[in-house]
Amino acid sequence: MPAISSLDLDRDPRSIVGTREFDAPRALVFSAWTDAKHLAQWWGPNGFTTTTYTFDFRPGGIWRFVMHGPDGRDYQNLITFEQIVPPERIVYRHGGADDVEPVQFRQTVIFEDLGGRTRIIWRGDFPSAAERDRVIKEYGADKGLVQTMARLADYVATQA
Amino acid sequence: MVKLALDSTFAALSDPTRRAILARLALGETSVTELAKPFAMSLPAVSKHLKVLERAGLIARGREAQWRPCRIEPRALKDIDDWLAHYRRFFDESFDRLDAYLQKLQAKEHTKERNNRGPKGKDRKDARNKQPRS
Repeated sequence: MPAISSLDLDRDPRSIVGTREFDAPRALVFSAWTDAKHLAQWWGPNGFTTTTYTFDFRPGGIWRFVMHGPDGRDYQNLITFEQIVPPERIVYRHGGADDVEPVQFRQTVIFEDLGGRTRIIWRGDFPSAAERDRVIKEYGADKGLVQTMARLADYVATQA
Repeated sequence: MVKLALDSTFAALSDPTRRAILARLALGETSVTELAKPFAMSLPAVSKHLKVLERAGLIARGREAQWRPCRIEPRALKDIDDWLAHYRRFFDESFDRLDAYLQKLQAKEHTKERNNRGPKGKDRKDARNKQPRS
């Protein structure tokens, strides 16, 4: 699986993919994502703790939480679940409110059954063509630019 | 606004032509005419790409009247690079912790099973967790 850990101009930074294997059955690995009590035990980098305000694990439901950094800083977070297919897949959107951390992305987490072991494939998708168009619109670009971009998007699509 | 800056940087970088322009500019500052050469594009089309890159803070353009040299602004690229590293670290370290947590859960499960199966549990705490087997 290709995965980038630093910016490479030859690659489209719109998506990042990684895999990880766990020595535990798939149902157990999946269940660690389904409950704020479980998530509090492992979510976040070393030294972080998590406080959950709201946790609604269903498509369209949100997880509103704050991550307390080891530096004493609090990071507001919002996750909106888009797709839940137990015990195979979770798709969520990260970000999207005024008082939460910057950068929106869509995260896909796939759980593969390896017979007692489990592989997680995780993929982050960053601002898409739609997001790009929104940015152009918000920045008040002229109509010509939007049309050029649209044509360019079509062109790129035919090359892909 | 950090959010808009990073979002627009990602959006600007999502286009292969703009990445190629950045790669060219990494070699040194140059004019729009020079930049346009390798691409089958009109000057106005290239200028539009440059506007997107400039708005995203990825390049800066000189103010000299005719020849407006473009140069790369490493700051925005570094912001994105830092953010990607942070994102990567988030999952790497979260999954280290998840791994440890899953081991703990399974160890507990095994102890519970052993205590349920065996004649009696040694550990009081585990014995208290004993549940009738169906």
